[in-house]
Amino acid sequence: MSAGEFEGHESLIAQLRAGTLDAPDHLSRRVLALGPGKRARVPMSRRRKVFILVPVAATLAVAAAVINGAVNSGTNPKASGAAVDSRAVGHQPAQGAVGALGPTGAMGATGETGVTGATRPTGPTGSAALTGAHGPTSAYNGTQAAPLRSGVHSDKKALFGTADSLTIATDRLVHAVATLEVAVPSHRALTRATNNATEIVTQLGGYAQHVQYDASRTGPGNAFLDIRVPVGKAETAIRMLGGLGTLLSQSLTTKDLQQKSTKQTSQIGQLQRAIRIYEQALQSGTLSGSQRVDVQIRLAEAQHELAATHKAHGRTLASGRTAEIKLTLTSRNHHAVVAGPHKRGRLGRLLHNAAGFLALEAIVVLYILIVAVPIVLLGALLWWFTSGRRRRDERRLLASA
Amino acid sequence: MKPVNAMPAAFAASRPGRAQPFADVVAENLDAVYRYLVYLTGDRVAAEDLAAETFEKAYRGWRRFDPQRGAPRTWLCRIAHSVAVDWFRAEARRQRREDNYMRDAAMLEESVFGDGFSPDLDQALHRLTPAEREVVALRVLLELDGPSAARVLGISQTACSTRLSRALQRLEEEVGDVRR
Repeated sequence: MSAGEFEGHESLIAQLRAGTLDAPDHLSRRVLALGPGKRARVPMSRRRKVFILVPVAATLAVAAAVINGAVNSGTNPKASGAAVDSRAVGHQPAQGAVGALGPTGAMGATGETGVTGATRPTGPTGSAALTGAHGPTSAYNGTQAAPLRSGVHSDKKALFGTADSLTIATDRLVHAVATLEVAVPSHRALTRATNNATEIVTQLGGYAQHVQYDASRTGPGNAFLDIRVPVGKAETAIRMLGGLGTLLSQSLTTKDLQQKSTKQTSQIGQLQRAIRIYEQALQSGTLSGSQRVDVQIRLAEAQHELAATHKAHGRTLASGRTAEIKLTLTSRNHHAVVAGPHKRGRLGRLLHNAAGFLALEAIVVLYILIVAVPIVLLGALLWWFTSGRRRRDERRLLASA
Repeated sequence: MKPVNAMPAAFAASRPGRAQPFADVVAENLDAVYRYLVYLTGDRVAAEDLAAETFEKAYRGWRRFDPQRGAPRTWLCRIAHSVAVDWFRAEARRQRREDNYMRDAAMLEESVFGDGFSPDLDQALHRLTPAEREVVALRVLLELDGPSAARVLGISQTACSTRLSRALQRLEEEVGDVRR
């Protein structure tokens, strides 16, 4: 206690302290009647609470992640992983199969994935069905497995080994556009695959309309081929091109051109009939001068329209005769996609899943913090205002009473 | 005079965090809290009621009391302060309705703040505001240190020191006025 605060008031302080003022006995009895009371619980200090709660929370989070990882790593990775990343999981090895990849459908759809041998990989098992043959437009998207090969020059049977091939309607005029993404293990394989793709297409009666090859010594390599093949050979081409490496993804879009072709044919017939009528009218010689001019104009228009329709019809037929295949060959994701899962055992999957779960927990915590912090700040501000006001009122009350 | 102002030896010896039965706390602090409330309210009867209420509240919250954050006396004074402020609010409302001249007159007839006080000192204490009497009670009678008293009052230590200085100065002046 600072003696300086009482300096000059020693006599007054002494007088104040000399007075006796004890609680009356009845007050003592009244208060002591409350009972002896329990011993005060010694509460934890804030620092102690933090030291305990933070490790406990961290342990719980890690334990939850490990349990999640353990539960998920025990299941078949083909089935469990499809919903996470169709591309990556699509190349998880099937149980008991060496050198074959278990396929999964895109969009998390899973299907039959059994593989019986290294030389007989399964085909796509996605739930999406090819319906383009009967509708105006349809699309197939899926991840199709292909045999794992060290190079492109594997046996030709393997190229055709992808069962359950995509089908394109042949009884109608259909325009088909297929997109394929195929991974190859190295730059050298990329070059070979590019050449092979051109060769395959040529053998099938098609051609590569556009070829783009990008590769550097250190970075990833890519080759993009815009291919045209006869529609009748499109399925074969897709199978063969998909077998040039590890098929990462493929999509097939078909557009029915039959109706368009029929309509154009009908229009051509109408125009031809109109032209004949106009010609007959002009030859009859019964038209007046102004009528003749009018008919001549109409005839010229009809002839012009007929020529345009002929051209359009020709384009439709040409479009229906050839299929577009956009092939992307890449050496970029090969190791990550194919080699990764092969090297990851159960422990690896457990750790991978646990890490993913921890990341999810962190995101949730971050989200909560982002949402909660403004609310807490607002509450603190409100509390600060309220308590300050209450304190001012209290001070005023005690100063004026 | 009982040594209510001095820190009880048992308590002083106790280490932070060590639990203490509530009955011991009552025995050690009842007089101090009562005296504090008498100074604050200037009314012995009211101080009795408020002291009882204070200890009832303290009894209910005893399990939540954290010895590491302050002495039991400081904690009890804080509760007493809160109880007394509520009483002052109620009293202010009541005084607006009633004329309490008779009660005030009766109070002045006997010494309120301490047996053995001179009438001059007692009257001078009456002339102080409750806030001034409160700081005198905490620092002089209960001998709380600066930080503890400031915590009870809900003000800074500097403000507490200033308030004490002004209160003592004014008390000296009031005593002088009364004597004249």
